[in-house]
Amino acid sequence: MGKSGKQNKSAKTVIPFGPQHPVLPEPLHLKLVMEDEIIVEAIPAIGYVHRGLEKLTEIKEFTQNVFIVERICGICSVMHAQAYCQGIETLMNIQIPDRAKYLRVIWAELHRIHSHLLWLGLLADAFGFESLFMQVWRNREKVMDIMEETAGGRVIISVNTIGGTRRDMSPEALRKVAVIADEIKEDMKQLEKVFMADYTVKHRLVGVGVLEPDLAYEFGAVGPMARASGIKQDLRTTGYAAYGELDFEPVIETGCDSYARTMVRLREVYQSVDLIKQAIDKIPDGEISVPVKGMPNGEVISRVEQPRGEVLYYLKANGTKNLERLRIRTPTFANIPTLLKMLPGSELADVPILILTIDPCISCTER
Amino acid sequence: MIENAFDISKELLHVEVEDSKINGYRFVTATCVDLGDGTFDVIYHFDKDLELKNLRVNVKKEDELPSISNIYFSAILVENEMKELFGLNIKNIAIDYGGHMLLSDEELDAPMAKQQIVIEQRKGDK
Repeated sequence: MGKSGKQNKSAKTVIPFGPQHPVLPEPLHLKLVMEDEIIVEAIPAIGYVHRGLEKLTEIKEFTQNVFIVERICGICSVMHAQAYCQGIETLMNIQIPDRAKYLRVIWAELHRIHSHLLWLGLLADAFGFESLFMQVWRNREKVMDIMEETAGGRVIISVNTIGGTRRDMSPEALRKVAVIADEIKEDMKQLEKVFMADYTVKHRLVGVGVLEPDLAYEFGAVGPMARASGIKQDLRTTGYAAYGELDFEPVIETGCDSYARTMVRLREVYQSVDLIKQAIDKIPDGEISVPVKGMPNGEVISRVEQPRGEVLYYLKANGTKNLERLRIRTPTFANIPTLLKMLPGSELADVPILILTIDPCISCTER
Repeated sequence: MIENAFDISKELLHVEVEDSKINGYRFVTATCVDLGDGTFDVIYHFDKDLELKNLRVNVKKEDELPSISNIYFSAILVENEMKELFGLNIKNIAIDYGGHMLLSDEELDAPMAKQQIVIEQRKGDK
């Protein structure tokens, strides 16, 4: 209270959020400038786990880099390797076999399901719905198991290689993937009711973190963040790998809030199930890879749609076994500015949900 | 060469970037490449309807480069990253971490830039 007896309403407090916080699986720090319980400004601080992987790819041979980029982030490791391999294949003018294109789609969509179920579980945990969290992750285990069965690993499955894939799937394995995909779909229909209609869930998500379409576009939102604001942006529609042979439309919501972003990810699980089944129906017989001869030379940009959105790979090669430059722009790196736009005006209690809603991957951001 | 790439001067950078914004392009990211001859290539990537447009600016290592974060706010992170990892002299970033977004005081300056190693000949060496 001031001398006049009036409270100074403009007094601001800075609250540090993170880098260690129960809602954050990875270290992200935000300086939140507050007026009472309302955020007026947010400044991010990253750099806690930066690994310098881009530099490492200049030292390793271009064939070894597949294994490095897979380790940028476990959850989207397949898509990282896919983007890298596609780039090198373009530089070296390699046409991969059609079967490899379909296999890449199947494993990539399994990864998308795995990532979205992981996120839905974390979201349920963040708003305190423990049983929902466990049910979603129980479902996710089925994806992990089938990845282990088909590729030998549960998270980093290392199936992509320059020129195709390193592994094939037998007809029995493909049938089993289709059965598991159906099971996941049925299980998610049970859980969908809770996400879509439960009072507590809606209370925590509806109207929270509204990002209007023009702002989402201006701030460079990608993936489910953009699509939940009504922006029809999905790189799979460009037809890379075998996506051009499959029938699908980007999942769009127009609510622009955290609830809409949840719905996009939920519906994309069904979309991935459908894409997997289409790919299994259409996969041709044949080779899974072609031999790679020579060294890459020139510049190329390769983009694919990860679970969190667009990833961009810029590759510059000089005709030797080492790349001159590999630049990777991951989706979380693009979505952090939108978070900075959403936070001002929000309540402190909503910060965990707002951070989670961009599906932050600090491992990707700090590659 | 990457498709749809245009070489521009740093003096024209703001004009071209503003033009991109007016024409509905989304800023994707920027890439810094150390050419090893005392210059950097800075490539700004924009997207419209899933088609990329790339603006390439060649700058000397000691030259200043204006920030585009006053036009595209989403450039703040990548501009800070290029400034720290390559030592690129970017001026007027909307949120400037002063070289400490990723690096601490103890770390090597500009770790992504190509380092020139100079071996001095000592007296008596042949």
